Amino acid sequence: MALPNQLATTPARKFAVTLLAWLAAIGFALPLLWMLAGSFRTGTDIFTNLYPLSWKLFIPTEVTFDNYATLMVGEFGLSVANSIFVTAVTVIVGLLICAMAAFALSILRFRGAAFVFALVVLSFLVPFDAIAVPLANLFRTWNLDNSYLGLILPGLANGFAIFVLRQFFMNIPLELAEAARVDGLGWWGIFWRIYLPLSKPALIGAGFTLFLFQWGAYLWPLMIGTEPSKVLGPIALANLAGQFEVDFGAIFAGAFLLTLVPLILLLIFQRQFTESLASTGTKG
Amino acid sequence: MRNHRTLAAMGIALSATVMLAACTSGSEAGGGDGPVEITMIGADLPEVFAPLIDAFEEENPEITVTYQNVPFDQYNNVLQQRIGGKDAGVDVYLADAGAIGSLATKGFLTDLSEYRDQVEESSLPATVEGNMFDGKLWALPMWTSLQYLYYNKSLLDAAGIAHPSIESDDRATWEDLTTDAKSAQAAGAEWGLLFDQTDRYYQLQALPESKGGGSGATGDDLLTADVTNDGWIESMKWYGSLFEDGVAPRGVETDQMVQLFAGGKAAYFVGGPWSLTPILEADSKVDYGIAPNPMFDGGTPAMPTGSWNIAISPATDALEASKKFIEFASLDAEGNAISAQEVIIPPTNVDSFSDYITKMDGQDAPNTDGMGELTLSELEDSAVNRPNTPGFTQMQDVLGRAFSDIRNGGDVEETLQKAQDELQGLWDRL
Repeated sequence: MALPNQLATTPARKFAVTLLAWLAAIGFALPLLWMLAGSFRTGTDIFTNLYPLSWKLFIPTEVTFDNYATLMVGEFGLSVANSIFVTAVTVIVGLLICAMAAFALSILRFRGAAFVFALVVLSFLVPFDAIAVPLANLFRTWNLDNSYLGLILPGLANGFAIFVLRQFFMNIPLELAEAARVDGLGWWGIFWRIYLPLSKPALIGAGFTLFLFQWGAYLWPLMIGTEPSKVLGPIALANLAGQFEVDFGAIFAGAFLLTLVPLILLLIFQRQFTESLASTGTKG
Repeated sequence: MRNHRTLAAMGIALSATVMLAACTSGSEAGGGDGPVEITMIGADLPEVFAPLIDAFEEENPEITVTYQNVPFDQYNNVLQQRIGGKDAGVDVYLADAGAIGSLATKGFLTDLSEYRDQVEESSLPATVEGNMFDGKLWALPMWTSLQYLYYNKSLLDAAGIAHPSIESDDRATWEDLTTDAKSAQAAGAEWGLLFDQTDRYYQLQALPESKGGGSGATGDDLLTADVTNDGWIESMKWYGSLFEDGVAPRGVETDQMVQLFAGGKAAYFVGGPWSLTPILEADSKVDYGIAPNPMFDGGTPAMPTGSWNIAISPATDALEASKKFIEFASLDAEGNAISAQEVIIPPTNVDSFSDYITKMDGQDAPNTDGMGELTLSELEDSAVNRPNTPGFTQMQDVLGRAFSDIRNGGDVEETLQKAQDELQGLWDRL
């Protein structure tokens, strides 16, 4: 597939490509902007300005900070802290586990390696939602419901992250590991001192996979962690809609806050993330 | 050797974390003779039940009640998973009217027949009936509900349309209302007639019922789907035409419609007593009035009713404490009144209910003048309960999707036929 800079060979083409890129960017940004504008207006103001379509959709007529104030007093603040904690532990511990598994599957030669790898691939072909209900029942019998561990565990070993990391590790010249072995470095040293430092983009890509799985998780925490002290962000957000009263302003504000974290992370790691997408499996 | 030691250390650290976490959550289970902790799950904000729980804990200091909120849209499925999985972490939960038969059949409810005489004495008869299935009482009534026709006086005046009567005997017809709604739109109203819960069986069941189409569940065991009769088709054609003709907007979902009425954009709105809250909290309050839920020309009056009932999970390990709590929330007049304190919804205890009725008129006088009397006559004369079919959960899901399709322009006959086939298929498997 041609890249934009390969298409934009003449000034006219360059203009067209730029225009298209901007249109696509605006298309993605509009819902976010609407959400942001909605977080500063009352529920009535949000919906009364839906029709007819006008600039009023994006500019609040009367700015209010009440929605953010509402979020501060309820369970939402705690739920965001819970989400950050659960996601951070998942990413750090999960990356270590996935990277170790990927290292073993790409470098170490052991009986049944192909079978284990096939299992890993199979594991990410089965949607998590399909196994969530029986798994939640198991977790409950192990007393892991309403605990951080129960929320974190299913996100740790991610088949896709292992697959991505393994593909990346396979492309690191084996000679490096062999030279290190000759010099007396153990497998752990090779993993920790050679493979990990060389794999930053892949680690960031895999880290994002783990992050997004946990940050956006809804079904699992709904089944395993509804106790007020363990509630995660997405559940607290859905809880803002009661059966009889729905605080839309607060929902918009909450949704914006929950979007902010991945947005900031993507901005910081944008370069490495794109690199990881571009390099996985194709680097040679 | 070094790498093995590191791996072993990590292994030990990981196991220690697992054990620590297991101990932490294990200790929460409590037990013994000490204080008892019970957990209640429901689908409303914690603030709604905080006064009830506080009042109960004050009277019963040895029992602590923890409330867990589950989002309404996933509520029935979470119940299925948790109660079905024999989760001892749930003791008391709220069961929706109509779902009692379905929950009882699955074994998700504790038989409460011992309370039958007491509850018949303390609660409104129709609400007790809704909790009976197979000759047994499965939950205690807590709240009930009804629907009103709200109208925007200024928008009707601008179009020269007479205000609808507040008398139940003189209720408007859907046909006349549609004509008036269109006239109001021609005179400046953005929307004509809106429904609070666009895709929910709770509110829309009343339409085919008024046309003589029934609830959709027939047969001795209420497991024969019947949503393709004339009553259903005609009433749904009328419903679809509201959106087709632009009397109501397509892109606005359940729970969002009230915001349009509260914002002064709609001439008529059909909603519950709880709709008063957003109307009163709007940036600038509309001048509104209240009338009985309309009916079809030549049909019968039909108005949605029923609400949350309070039940005990069979998996509970704190049965006595749970019983005390549900007694307080339903049988005790004071407790029942406190349960409905934060939401404008009628409590079911006879004493709490009459207290609620006397306060209705004063909610927002003069707009709510006569609301108490109207509430009484509507609940007595035109309330239609949801069918207590063992397949209620499936019915709610399948018809919810059908309503949404009809609202978005799907062919009525085809959509209802498809829904009927799907529903019957699901029910045959029960």
